[in-house]
Amino acid sequence: MELIQNIFDLSDIPRKDLTIFGVFCLFLVVFPLFPHSSFAMATMIEFLMFSLYGMGWNIIGGYGGQVDLGKAQYAGIGAYTTAVMLIRWNIPFWVSAPVGMIFAIIWSFVIGYPLFRMRGHYFAIATIATSLVLLDIFEIWPLVGGAKGLELPLKSMPDFLYLQFRNDAYYYYILIFLFFFGFFYINWFRKSRLGFQLRAIKDNEEVARSLGINAHWCKIKAYAIATSFVAVVGSFHACYNFNIEPEDIMSLDLSILIAMMAMVGGAGSLWGPIIGAAVLIPLKSYLGSWLGGKAGLAGLDLAIYAIIIMVIAAFEPRGIWGIVEKARRRSKI
Amino acid sequence: MTTPILQVQGVTKDFGGLRANNAITFSVEKGELLGLIGPNGAGKSTLFNCIAGVYPVTTGKIFFDGREITNLKPYEVSRLGLARTFQIFVASGDLSVLENIMVGSFLRTRSRKVAWEKAEEILEFMDLTKHAEQWVSELPVAAQKRVAMATALATQPKILLLDEVAAGLNPTEIDQIMDLIRMIHYDRGITVMLIEHVMELVMNLSHRVIVLDSGSMIAEGKPEEIKKNPEVIKAYLGERYVAQQQKGV
Repeated sequence: MELIQNIFDLSDIPRKDLTIFGVFCLFLVVFPLFPHSSFAMATMIEFLMFSLYGMGWNIIGGYGGQVDLGKAQYAGIGAYTTAVMLIRWNIPFWVSAPVGMIFAIIWSFVIGYPLFRMRGHYFAIATIATSLVLLDIFEIWPLVGGAKGLELPLKSMPDFLYLQFRNDAYYYYILIFLFFFGFFYINWFRKSRLGFQLRAIKDNEEVARSLGINAHWCKIKAYAIATSFVAVVGSFHACYNFNIEPEDIMSLDLSILIAMMAMVGGAGSLWGPIIGAAVLIPLKSYLGSWLGGKAGLAGLDLAIYAIIIMVIAAFEPRGIWGIVEKARRRSKI
Repeated sequence: MTTPILQVQGVTKDFGGLRANNAITFSVEKGELLGLIGPNGAGKSTLFNCIAGVYPVTTGKIFFDGREITNLKPYEVSRLGLARTFQIFVASGDLSVLENIMVGSFLRTRSRKVAWEKAEEILEFMDLTKHAEQWVSELPVAAQKRVAMATALATQPKILLLDEVAAGLNPTEIDQIMDLIRMIHYDRGITVMLIEHVMELVMNLSHRVIVLDSGSMIAEGKPEEIKKNPEVIKAYLGERYVAQQQKGV
């Protein structure tokens, strides 16, 4: 009973914010009912996927303050588990996604246990390294199709078990479901015991340890939770794209994009990843389609992300939401 | 006689070639208020950190509440009921005052509601209710020190180690913090051990005082005895304090 109350407890959030979020959710739910281009739909799907990636990253990177730049490896584990299980044993998404999540969590323990002995930049660099190593392994591993990747066999669509649809609106609503699930999970998590302990570790690890918190173990647990978000979205990605390649689902680009969602929106806040994805994904989509047509300008979008990161790091490490909160505090005092 | 709540037996701590603590032996009785003084660099904080598990000891043993805690990790020691504050309480502003205290109370419960109620109670006890929603970094120093104490208290310790809680405070604030320490000690029945530079506070509060100098324990006794101990005066208090005492300040 207390648990259910806690999951839906938004009492600490200003009414104004809740209203804005409510209107935004309403828009999300009704969006497919109105006329839209398939490009707009693809952008919205990407927005939802990256909000979920970002929510996952936010747990360890935002609340825990451990900058992780290797999340793509877990998206890859999720995606490949779903693809391989479908190809070899004809297993549907709803079974393979949890299995992928478990594989990802196991791998996160293997990686997390030694890596969390490191702090700050060293940890960030090590996460990149492990992700790139796994990418290299997948590129030469025959079981997962090597560098060519895997093509998913097509079912008769629409298929709800294998998540194969011609109409993107189906994918969209499944993501909406995951989005709300993720949102309320984070809402519970941020004020759970682990959530508090994690934020205390971010604040000051030595003090946290003196308050009975096993910092190393807390980080590993939070890392595993973050990982499960990313793995599920990875599994979804495989079904949505029908084919996966290591360079696509396990690349450094993806890892950095995942981290950017929460960093730009506001690391360590409930809204951060959602704001970040809402700003960055349309920017990325439209910029990409605009620049893609111009020879010699491909890759400029990456340069633009780099500039955004630098601006945020220099002026407001807590991102867009940090700017809003600062302005509010100022007007209160 | 009951067994002491904390026993330190021959603890030596070396940092490379530097001996920070040299064969220190003492014990703290249940319900006692013990002061630990000594000039800068005497090894007081090192001793605290050895007891709290931050540093492993080089040799010696530490017992807490009947069991050996030598070289346990800080979080293990804390779970057994030994809480401590830090000289510098740095907070990046991610947690409000109330949330900071809740981190402490979450040690003894998984329930958000129980942790919140405990934190509210301590908030009031430490006179911090009006600061509940603020960030620690926004508070004046005196209030920050109270937050540090409140957070440690929220772990429901049997013994509380206070590291220079009066440093940087004005006389009024020192009086307040003295009252608080008395309340923690008498009303809550928590054994207190304090490191302090502010003599007035140590001498007024402590039942017994231990003096460290250059890593060794040079004296132990009641505050009045310590004040008169020539070794201590030479090592720590200096001529000025003696002069003050004679003038009756």
